[in-house]
Amino acid sequence: MQTDKDVAFTLDLRGESCPYPVIYTLEALEGMNNGDLLQVITDCPGSFRNVPEEALAHGYTFAQDPVKNGQEYLFYIYA
Amino acid sequence: MKKMIQPIFQRYWNPYVVLLVAGILSSVYFGLTSTVWAITGEFTRLGGDLLQLFGVDISSWQYFEMVHLKGTTWSRPDGWIVWGMFSGALIMVLLSNNFKIRLPQQKRRYVQGLMGGIVAGFGARLALGCNLAAFFTGVPQFSIHSWIFIVATGIGTFFGAKLTKTRWWKGRPTLTRGAKRPSKVQKRIIQPYVGGAIAILYIGLMIYFFVTGQKLLGLGALFGLAFGILIERGQICFTSAFRDLFLVGRSIMAKAIIAGMALSSVLTVIIIAVYDLTPITQIAALSTFVGGTLFGLGIVMASGCETGMMYRLMEGQVLFLPVFAGNIIGATFLAYAWDHLGIYHVLVKNGTKINLLDSIGPIGAITATLAMLGVLYALTMNLEKRYHRNLSLKKGMNVNAN
Repeated sequence: MQTDKDVAFTLDLRGESCPYPVIYTLEALEGMNNGDLLQVITDCPGSFRNVPEEALAHGYTFAQDPVKNGQEYLFYIYA
Repeated sequence: MKKMIQPIFQRYWNPYVVLLVAGILSSVYFGLTSTVWAITGEFTRLGGDLLQLFGVDISSWQYFEMVHLKGTTWSRPDGWIVWGMFSGALIMVLLSNNFKIRLPQQKRRYVQGLMGGIVAGFGARLALGCNLAAFFTGVPQFSIHSWIFIVATGIGTFFGAKLTKTRWWKGRPTLTRGAKRPSKVQKRIIQPYVGGAIAILYIGLMIYFFVTGQKLLGLGALFGLAFGILIERGQICFTSAFRDLFLVGRSIMAKAIIAGMALSSVLTVIIIAVYDLTPITQIAALSTFVGGTLFGLGIVMASGCETGMMYRLMEGQVLFLPVFAGNIIGATFLAYAWDHLGIYHVLVKNGTKINLLDSIGPIGAITATLAMLGVLYALTMNLEKRYHRNLSLKKGMNVNAN
């Protein structure tokens, strides 16, 4: 995958339940340099929706569409 | 942006649609059975069943008498609401191939889940209902105790959200450099077949109930199944409704719940008038407020209330095992404390049952209820706006500092 090379950091949230995926994602993005790419791996079904929606609501942009991988989702978000 | 989130929307149903349908179904269920969609009463009875199993004599406990502890969970319609919800959620999870054992990375979550579950179970039963009977299905019964419960839950959730934000509670996320490989996806998909088989068995069971004349059990099983399907497909989370407003300025769940309650209230007032039914009124007392506050705090600590816990457990989120256990422990402890530790005398005795239909009539009751829900809606919008205003102020300051 093209974006894999550009990923600066990965946040592996597998196993964590809501609301921690959202909190952790926003916290990680806040702490990163502007424009760096964050990969998020999450398997809490609630987070499939609230992570992308809240990342957008907090002004971050996506490098590509979310990837559904079995029972988990991958997100690629620019800090 | 729309294109990006669309595949996710296709997976789960819109919460507004789900909660409007749930509002309609809960009114219909009341019309058919004169009981409401509720679960924590049954959790208390499960606790009583367990105590009896271990040989504890509970015949003199007033609380169990009040919640009509009779028979087994399989012979109680409320029992079938609970098992129906578990079944409906499980069937949906399997049909969408979404079951996975999900173990929290942060071990502290298990302790938080158990503690939160106990606090929420205790609080809910002290207030005589969780966010169903004292909230989503309590408001449409025009019982004033649900108004007190909503305010109290909001306060409890506020403090819960404060707790969630502290470092020692939430823990530190582990960021790793570079990309990481996702899990291997299994090629053979068997979950939908298992889900289909369970669905067929369950339908058979419902048919059995109706054919053998056990209409109330059949209705409990049928509506429980429907509610389970709805909460899982809509990912309905009452805990997040208040909490996420405080945490991340997210309002969709709160607004959808308010819309569902408004529709259910209108339908219920009509059903009560047409079929001349008696609404279900619970005592409003200091216990409602204390219980609601504890409940609000507990559900945030546990990351889920009694309702949300059910479908999350079926998704394989192991965290919700201690939450479920905690809910039952908390509810059972309340049943003990009710008369043995004097809770009834201190917090409940001076309360009264107040129903708006009796005090101001049907037109007044529905007008007041819709006005109250309107105020809640406005407050929700206001909290969301305030969060985002503060956020842009903060961001603006960062830009200036750079």
